[in-house]
Amino acid sequence: MTGVALVGAAAVPCGRIQRPREAPLQALEHETLAGCVLAAMADAGLPKESIGALVFTHPRPYTPQRYFGTFMANWLRVATSGVLVEVLGDGMTGGLAFDAAAEAIASGRAEVALALGANFETATPSPEHMNLIMRATGDLDFHVPFGFTPLSWYAMDAVRYMHEHGVAREALATVAVKNRRHASLNPLAQYRRPVTLEEVLAQRPIVEPLGLYEVAPMSDGAACLVLAREEVARSLGRPYARVRGRGFYHEGAHQISEVPNDMIAFDAAARAGRAAFAAAGIGPQDVDLAELYAPATIVEVLVSEALGFAPRGRGAHAAAAGETALGGRIPINTSGGLLSRGHPPYISPLYAFVELAEQLRQRAGERQVAGAEIGVAACELGNYNAALVHVLEARA
Amino acid sequence: MRLAIERVAGRRPWPPRCSEFTERFWRALAEGRLTTTRCAACARLAFPPRPFCPHCWHRSVEWVELRPGGTVYSSTVVHAAPAVFAHEAPYRVGIVDLDDGLRIATRLLGVAEGFAVGARAELVVLAYDDGPLFAARVRG
Ligand SMILES: [Zn+2]
Repeated sequence: MTGVALVGAAAVPCGRIQRPREAPLQALEHETLAGCVLAAMADAGLPKESIGALVFTHPRPYTPQRYFGTFMANWLRVATSGVLVEVLGDGMTGGLAFDAAAEAIASGRAEVALALGANFETATPSPEHMNLIMRATGDLDFHVPFGFTPLSWYAMDAVRYMHEHGVAREALATVAVKNRRHASLNPLAQYRRPVTLEEVLAQRPIVEPLGLYEVAPMSDGAACLVLAREEVARSLGRPYARVRGRGFYHEGAHQISEVPNDMIAFDAAARAGRAAFAAAGIGPQDVDLAELYAPATIVEVLVSEALGFAPRGRGAHAAAAGETALGGRIPINTSGGLLSRGHPPYISPLYAFVELAEQLRQRAGERQVAGAEIGVAACELGNYNAALVHVLEARA
Repeated sequence: MRLAIERVAGRRPWPPRCSEFTERFWRALAEGRLTTTRCAACARLAFPPRPFCPHCWHRSVEWVELRPGGTVYSSTVVHAAPAVFAHEAPYRVGIVDLDDGLRIATRLLGVAEGFAVGARAELVVLAYDDGPLFAARVRG
């Protein structure tokens, strides 16, 4: 995937945007997203007529407007000759939107492509929402009847990790403290008040051993990324981020398969990471920062190990030692990550690219990673049964 | 080889769907037998049972009975539960590696504290009013 650049990005702060169904005044996805599109295109310095492809994240079922993509194209009055499509792949959806937009450019079908979407869901109470999402993370007839939830799989990762590596919950929980500190510096973050380790450990249990602050919240959000052929990016005369590598792997398993494996190796992330690094001609030691899709502390630890940012079994200790914090050896989730920046699932990966766009253009303010040149974004399906990894590089 | 059958009052919160193919699995389970399919060509087991072999895609499979014993690989206690399971929360679920070489995920019973990783467990039948589920009971 050579010759593709990320040239503009905009998003609204994650949080509660959606209003109760009975509220007289509603917050509408297309109004919020249109603001992001105009801001992102202004950020890129490109005219509306340059857009050749629109790749939308599929909205949540709680968005009443269907065929949201074509509706949105009308709302924005954008005609396209490359492609207009809504993509869907659970938590990977936003990453797939970026990937498809990059493909549209790499294949020559578009000079400029948008990866964009809105994810509204907070007006639905969590137990009701879980009736829906439990059906996404297991076999409807052979897992769901037992009461597995999406987070329960990560909790079992945590238990296995603690067992195999003799790691205490406290070490895993430092990830939540670190991410909250990062989020305190991010205007797009949902939770910005710093928390202590004691506060994290004192929260009510969600899926043992993980408590409220060790898992991602429910969030609404909207974001738009502007991708362009690198020649177009260069002609704009401003900093951009170039796509330098990309890797994907799906294990052919849905949450777990009946073939016993090393569940916490996150093999798909390891394979996708190696592919992305090989394509980029770099190794994990060359990376300046990473935005990792991690709906729980343990997931950030396991992905950081799978991608080679920490040795197996050492990821939690690396986090506890500050190696993954701003100013550390390899800052991870400088945005605050899913835990604190917020987690509108279908577009959480778009927010990861928004953060990389800010960092690699050296304009992340107080949370800027000094001289950031190489950034990595990773997202997943299931219990990281699939992973999509992109390597981006700063270009001035 | 028979699984112990434990009566549970009430209906299954999320009853599994039954097809012409899987009906045989659930009927056997109600009688205390845990069954699945084995490939006639490569002899590998699959779970859930399938009308073909997922490993080699051979179309000929045979039904076999599994032993109930296994080892807990991991577990968790679900406190924040989907609405349909809220009346059962908190409840424990886990991953069990069966002695026959299959990894399954199911409800975990009989764990007082901790996560029982590495503990021996036996599959049992939970006989609800409307049909069976299976679960793993950890040996105390
Ligand atoms: Zn076979």
